Amino acid sequence: MSSPRPQSQSGNQPIDFSKLRVLVVDDFDNFRLSMRQMLRGMGIGHIEACATGSAAIQSCTYDQFDIVLCDYNLGSGKNGQHVLEELRHRKLLRRTSLFIMVTAETSKEMVMGAREYQPDGYLTKPINQASLSQRLNALLQQRAVLLPINREIDLDNLPKAISLCTQMLPQQPRYRTWILKTLSDLYYQVGDYSHARKICEDVLQSRDLSWARLGLGRILIAEQRYGEAIQALQTLIERQPDLVEAYDQLARAQSLAGKSGTAQRTLEQATALSPNAILRQKQLATLASRNQDMDTACQAWRQTVHLGRHSIHDQPEHYLGLGRSLCDLSEDDTSDEGRARADEALRALALVRKRFPEADDVPDLSRLIEARVLQGQKRVEEADAIITPLIESGDRLSPGAELELARTLFARDRRDEAKKRLMALSQRCEGDAEIQSAIEALLDEPVGFRKRLQARRLTREGIQAFEKQDLEAAAETFAEALALVPAHPALNLNLVQVRLRQIDQGADRHALIQQCRQCLAQLDSLPEGHQQYRRFQSLKRKVEALS
Amino acid sequence: MTDDTTRPDRDPSPTPDFSMVMASAVHDMKNSLGMLLHSLDELREELSPSVTQSPRFNTLRYEAERVHSDLVQLLGLYRLDQSNLSAHIEEHYVPDYLEAQLARHVPLLDGRGIDYEIAAEAVSGFFDADLLTGVLNDTLNNAIRYTHKQIRISNREEDGYLVLQVADDGNGYPSSMLSATPDTAAPIDFTSGSTRLGLYFANAVAHLHREGGRSGFVHLYNGGPLGGGVFEIHLP
Repeated sequence: MSSPRPQSQSGNQPIDFSKLRVLVVDDFDNFRLSMRQMLRGMGIGHIEACATGSAAIQSCTYDQFDIVLCDYNLGSGKNGQHVLEELRHRKLLRRTSLFIMVTAETSKEMVMGAREYQPDGYLTKPINQASLSQRLNALLQQRAVLLPINREIDLDNLPKAISLCTQMLPQQPRYRTWILKTLSDLYYQVGDYSHARKICEDVLQSRDLSWARLGLGRILIAEQRYGEAIQALQTLIERQPDLVEAYDQLARAQSLAGKSGTAQRTLEQATALSPNAILRQKQLATLASRNQDMDTACQAWRQTVHLGRHSIHDQPEHYLGLGRSLCDLSEDDTSDEGRARADEALRALALVRKRFPEADDVPDLSRLIEARVLQGQKRVEEADAIITPLIESGDRLSPGAELELARTLFARDRRDEAKKRLMALSQRCEGDAEIQSAIEALLDEPVGFRKRLQARRLTREGIQAFEKQDLEAAAETFAEALALVPAHPALNLNLVQVRLRQIDQGADRHALIQQCRQCLAQLDSLPEGHQQYRRFQSLKRKVEALS
Repeated sequence: MTDDTTRPDRDPSPTPDFSMVMASAVHDMKNSLGMLLHSLDELREELSPSVTQSPRFNTLRYEAERVHSDLVQLLGLYRLDQSNLSAHIEEHYVPDYLEAQLARHVPLLDGRGIDYEIAAEAVSGFFDADLLTGVLNDTLNNAIRYTHKQIRISNREEDGYLVLQVADDGNGYPSSMLSATPDTAAPIDFTSGSTRLGLYFANAVAHLHREGGRSGFVHLYNGGPLGGGVFEIHLP
């Protein structure tokens, strides 16, 4: 062999391979063997190999490696991305170590699921000695140069990392992009958004690079400049329709700007492009539930649960979310479809207890949702067999479980009990705004999601009629909605408001005042903290003044 | 939401979209060939030089690599056709990048006893590394096949473009290839063989690189530093 191996042109410092510790993860014996040979050929001192993701995580728990060479496709268990996420999430791999994803894919997008964690580099099969050694050399060289910065990041000493970045930027043109990205991200993390933004803007001045535009969008969101963020991200997506992270950020901006319907559609596009990211599916499920789009929510929870099997991001709330959405969809539906959904819900709820035996209130929550599913299938006795012992035990339930119990009691038509428990919970969690608003929402509309949807639709129609000055139609529509959710404060007050306007315009007051009093009586026990409380007081005074 | 937008004429019948079936089959074949290439490189380590330097062994490696890179390009063109292929432009350190491209071909270079050289200027460039790898892989494989004794890859800056060049000392490109101005809009002439696919792909990739009203292009000529064929891709 007369020709020289490709040599680095830039006077790199030599790297002492004999001190390096490398872990090879691949499910093919042959591949592990040949990787070993190639690494030994490079003079690597310590080489270990394993066949599965779990074994890789085990190895990293007890041992520190400088380089992990991990195949993406590891057969039936965890894949390379799962391994990467778990290692970084549990801090089993220092930032100063290299995680290299080995893949047969030429297109990274096929590999990329959640990009919360990215590998330090990719190696595409087929791999030979020369390409492995070239790639490792380049990455190790980079690691050596950037080590001081990464060490400070590992120690959570971000200000120090920032000053090192600033210092190194003019000295290391070769790693300019890495340093700029890291610097902008560090500024973002310490909350210095204007500096973070300045970096992206400066980069964009000279060239339209997607990382800078994406970073800019993220920073604008943090600065609560949602309109500008949405615009920047939409421009980016127009130019690069396959950049999934841009959709994620756009959906965040839209959701924060109060456009949750649009945000949901954006996320649906993103999940169509890249369906295997668990956090994205979860985000979609949460948004769709909030939008009362139960079909989408259910499908997204299903995916989230499915993708969680091998993932560090697997959480009880995914199973509970799937159970709740299936419960909503199967409520009072005893057709084959309804029964199948109820069965699926029961399976998910049984599974969560098996997968998370240690989680605090998961047994209570899952059993209570189960009871609601059974109630929805008219399996009343089985439902009661769950509820009764739980109440009679007198054990103190977590706030979340109390809410779930109230929901189940409402579904079981034990309304007074439900209200009483919610009042008690409201006192118990006085300072907790989240719990309070959940209690409020539940008391306002203590019905299944179909009735809730119908009531909301009627409310919108009523408001439209009111705006068109068609007062009688508005009143009728609000009354129709109230038949579904009789205690709904805003709806009752809407009806009162319409009737007062009609009286103003000379309608026969007697019958109308009567109806107003009935509406106000529904709200007798409205707590002072309720959003509608002041409006209630003011309308009440007006009605009293009339009589 | 489905990706209806990219396929305006959706067949109402339940038969699967044929081009998608093709694409996933191509994907599968490509991965198999990747394994085959890997095994060949392993064999080369184990067998005696009399076998590994034999033309037949090298033909095996060359042809497998050729089909592999054709498939990679086909997949790229499929994505281009589905209009969900956009260039992911990032900054890359050119010497590292060129070394990585050449490293992949070292077994075949050594097998055929070809001298190789990287003449890299220490600069960074802006390009989509994955797409460009598809182009250079094919170009290098061809150069190795058609050169006599040497190949040379290099980069330079010219009129504000980054130019990546692959040169050899072979007989050069046939005049039919030099005269043709391959247009990404024109259909591929399949009778002329796969070199055209490579060129078509190279042009498509070059065009995807745009900056400030300028876009990339491919330049083929004969002569150059080694007196053989020269492939250049100019990126703004």
